[in-house]
Amino acid sequence: MNKLISDYELITRFIKGEEACFEKLIHRHKNKVFAYISLYIRDLALAEDIFQDTFLKVIQSVKAGKYSDNGKFISWVMRIAHNLIIDHFRRIKQMNTISNDNYESDLFNSKSFAEDNVEDDMIKRQIQKDIRNMISHLPDDQREVVILRHYAGLSFKEIADITDVSINTALGRMRYALINMRRIMVEKNISLTLN
Amino acid sequence: MKPMVLISTQFITLKEIKVENTDLIEDAWGFNSEFCDVIDLLRQIEPIPEQCLTTSLIKKIRKIV
Repeated sequence: MNKLISDYELITRFIKGEEACFEKLIHRHKNKVFAYISLYIRDLALAEDIFQDTFLKVIQSVKAGKYSDNGKFISWVMRIAHNLIIDHFRRIKQMNTISNDNYESDLFNSKSFAEDNVEDDMIKRQIQKDIRNMISHLPDDQREVVILRHYAGLSFKEIADITDVSINTALGRMRYALINMRRIMVEKNISLTLN
Repeated sequence: MKPMVLISTQFITLKEIKVENTDLIEDAWGFNSEFCDVIDLLRQIEPIPEQCLTTSLIKKIRKIV
């Protein structure tokens, strides 16, 4: 039986010199990390930079002995990504520039696209574009909770830890986010099938 | 009148309740049942990084390590 090696075991083996173990960790978690960053940032090029910076920072921290297995590895990685995103927005604020999120559908590298015909593909792209717009219309704090829960797969306890709020606040933000998204769905007539 | 045990729901033990992949706090707030339409929509997107992005990241890491 092929037993799944835990994140902690992979890190331990990486520290001991097995470089390939870190690559396994990247392959295991890259989709969640990328989903969080790309849905939050919305600028593809910038999201890709932060994605790479996140893992580079992770590896530096692991090598410096700053990682202790007191929770889930992915939760710790998400906190690093979160901090890098915050740093980015702070820099923008200092520069007093407004980011125009001209992010469009280029990011839709969904696995399923390759399997569909052109018409299905177009419909899916439109639905996905609508969903992205729906998420992007949310206030930052609500958007972050939605992304961390539904795309990064974190628990509310972990989300509360990362965003430095209580679990109740995180849950409240999620509730408001879901109410807002439903309102947007109705206003913009978004559904799983195109009308 | 039937005895209570024949018409009431059967009790299950604590071990029989499957909670492995459930966030119990979320479950208590009932998001999945109340907002299933919104959550189904959210599941339609799954952003994944380009293969070349991952490859380039791994190359950078190999240089550091």
